[in-house]
Amino acid sequence: MIGCTLTSKRPIIYTTDAVVVRASDLGEADRIITLVTPVHGLIRGVAKAARKPGSKLGGHLDLLRHVNVSVRETRSLHGLSQVSTVNGFRGLREDLDRFSRASYVSEMAERFSVENGANQPLFRMLIQVLGSLESTQNPDMVVHYFGMRLLQLNGFAPELTRCVETGAELEPANHLYSAERGGLVSNDARSVGESALLPAGLNTIKVLRFLSRTDVERADRMQVGEEENRQISRILRAQIHHILDRGLRSEAFMDEVRTRPARNGGTGKSEIASTQ
Amino acid sequence: MPSSEIAPSAAPPVARLIEAFHRLPGIGPKSAQRLTYHLIRMPLEEAQEFAAAILGVKEKVVLCDTCANLSESAECLICGDLQRDRTRICVVEEPLDVVAVERARVYSGLYHVLHGAISPVNGIGPNDLKLRELLERLRDGSVNEVIVATNPNLEGEATAMYIQQLIGPLGVLVTRLARGLPSGSDIEYADDSTLAHALASRSEIPTHGGDS
Repeated sequence: MIGCTLTSKRPIIYTTDAVVVRASDLGEADRIITLVTPVHGLIRGVAKAARKPGSKLGGHLDLLRHVNVSVRETRSLHGLSQVSTVNGFRGLREDLDRFSRASYVSEMAERFSVENGANQPLFRMLIQVLGSLESTQNPDMVVHYFGMRLLQLNGFAPELTRCVETGAELEPANHLYSAERGGLVSNDARSVGESALLPAGLNTIKVLRFLSRTDVERADRMQVGEEENRQISRILRAQIHHILDRGLRSEAFMDEVRTRPARNGGTGKSEIASTQ
Repeated sequence: MPSSEIAPSAAPPVARLIEAFHRLPGIGPKSAQRLTYHLIRMPLEEAQEFAAAILGVKEKVVLCDTCANLSESAECLICGDLQRDRTRICVVEEPLDVVAVERARVYSGLYHVLHGAISPVNGIGPNDLKLRELLERLRDGSVNEVIVATNPNLEGEATAMYIQQLIGPLGVLVTRLARGLPSGSDIEYADDSTLAHALASRSEIPTHGGDS
């Protein structure tokens, strides 16, 4: 059971761990911050004067930071204060490719979170995956892992062992995936299914099953071919789009960074000169 | 929010003005009401001046063809000033950042305004910024240095990294504004990233030669 404390006795001021997933300007120097938290779900709050250079909050409440924050509840936007950084994920701030993937992961986490909807497993996984993205050499698989586990955690686990059309156990062979039906469709049953079926090769299916029951470290070590990688990406995205009824905004930038010609040795790491 | 909801009992022209103010960033319904009633009490000449200033901005202000800063003509005052150092371009996110850097009176080069920063979660990518125009300015080889002065937050850093990758191959020196502790702040409240940058960019305290 998730540690949900949604009772009327919840204190008006509380301290919570959180990950900053969105920030926008408000007024002269304030910022509206959106946080994913383990117990209180999605929180939108105001960080007063956070854009001023001397602000005690601004540096901590930057995007993709794991912070500890004091929240004062109000009827609309909450007040945020007394922030300290638990993990700044510096590796995500010095590499464009890692940043783009972390943005995608954080947007997924935000879209699947709701206000007052406790989801400790999602929060723990978000922290783990952001940490992993700081240094992984296999970022595609880490992102796939997050997508798959996010679907499972929210009750949308893809059906990977039985045909969603016929209910029959799937033979070890190439099949198809239906985002609308939420699982694999046997090759024999394809005429029954709807038009938007995605190819799911045997190896792709094996990797999807592996992702559904592994942890981020093992997923990070998993090597897959280019074709399997592409198929997994299309399947998970299609499933997420179908559930959210829309695409994720950060996808386009992640794809652009991924497909740009490799520079700086292919790491994407910034090499901006210092004049000092 | 429609005007009928913001000020249900106000006369239609009053409600329309309240709604117009409410559409401005950072103006809530209460502030919109206060500003509207302040305008109602204002002398007619002052109100006309105010209205003319708004119309003037909309009718006369355009983007400079070169740097994309706000300007009254196709070339802004800074780009048209032949006294300025034309070998350096300072890249900023917004026109207000040009005003801030100019206020410091320490930079005499040119500017380039991106009109935003890369923000994947808000769907703002490189193609939404004035990056193609920046590349065009660097083609003739007269610029030696591009100073990236985007905001020192994650989106500003990402934009700086993108610019570096974009124009680095052209052989132009790309520099970034120094980051560290702001004057008047307390170290105990600084975040890890700021402290790391401040330590990495530490400098020797100058000694006074006349003491010996």
